Amino acid sequence: MKQALARLCEPLYLALTRYLSASGLMLFANTQGVSGVAKQAALSAIVDGKTLKAALYLASATTGPTNTAYTATGEVSGTNYTAGGVSVTNGNTAGLTSTTAYWTPSATITYTNVTLSTAFDCVMIYSTTDTNRNIGTFTFGSQTVTAGNFSLTMPTNDATTGLVRFA
Amino acid sequence: MTDEPLIYTSRGNLPIASLQYAVRWEDAADYLKLVETYTLDGEVVRESAHVYTKRGLLAEPVAESF
Repeated sequence: MKQALARLCEPLYLALTRYLSASGLMLFANTQGVSGVAKQAALSAIVDGKTLKAALYLASATTGPTNTAYTATGEVSGTNYTAGGVSVTNGNTAGLTSTTAYWTPSATITYTNVTLSTAFDCVMIYSTTDTNRNIGTFTFGSQTVTAGNFSLTMPTNDATTGLVRFA
Repeated sequence: MTDEPLIYTSRGNLPIASLQYAVRWEDAADYLKLVETYTLDGEVVRESAHVYTKRGLLAEPVAESF
């Protein structure tokens, strides 16, 4: 009886779904793409629990995403600045919203009482846990500092503004 | 005795009242920057900068289709 009813209803079901699909009232298309959890896993492997540092680079340098690791070439030098830069507070783990993975350092990066007389415009965040792997380089306009502080305040840690996002 | 507030500069600790203070804002697409400058007779003796990153970098993996 059940099977007979199913056979009877199937043409009606198919006709109805064809109509809804063709009219745009219901979408049945499959989609392709790298999954959100895969992106989160990739980002997690790079940042979660890692010891990170932030180094500053001269505006005249050519540091960028093609650098595989921290380099002293083109790095700033000056009073109270130590080669390699400062530690990055890394209290966040890779997050995921929909299919976008994201991560942001959990505190402002600060260089205190430094004098950096030659203009700089770039910071590299790198992982000392992973042989100084370059995680990202970020620019912020040419700047000098004289007997003062330089701070980098982080964006909101979400899928729209996070410092590193895989979308 | 009145303690005069001092500030650390490239010329040592100076009375803050003797310095000229100026701020400059730089509003770019990806960051907002505040630059604070203290000058003494036209010479910059202390300059600090504070950058607020509005948004970070986006990487988009490419998935090939069959």
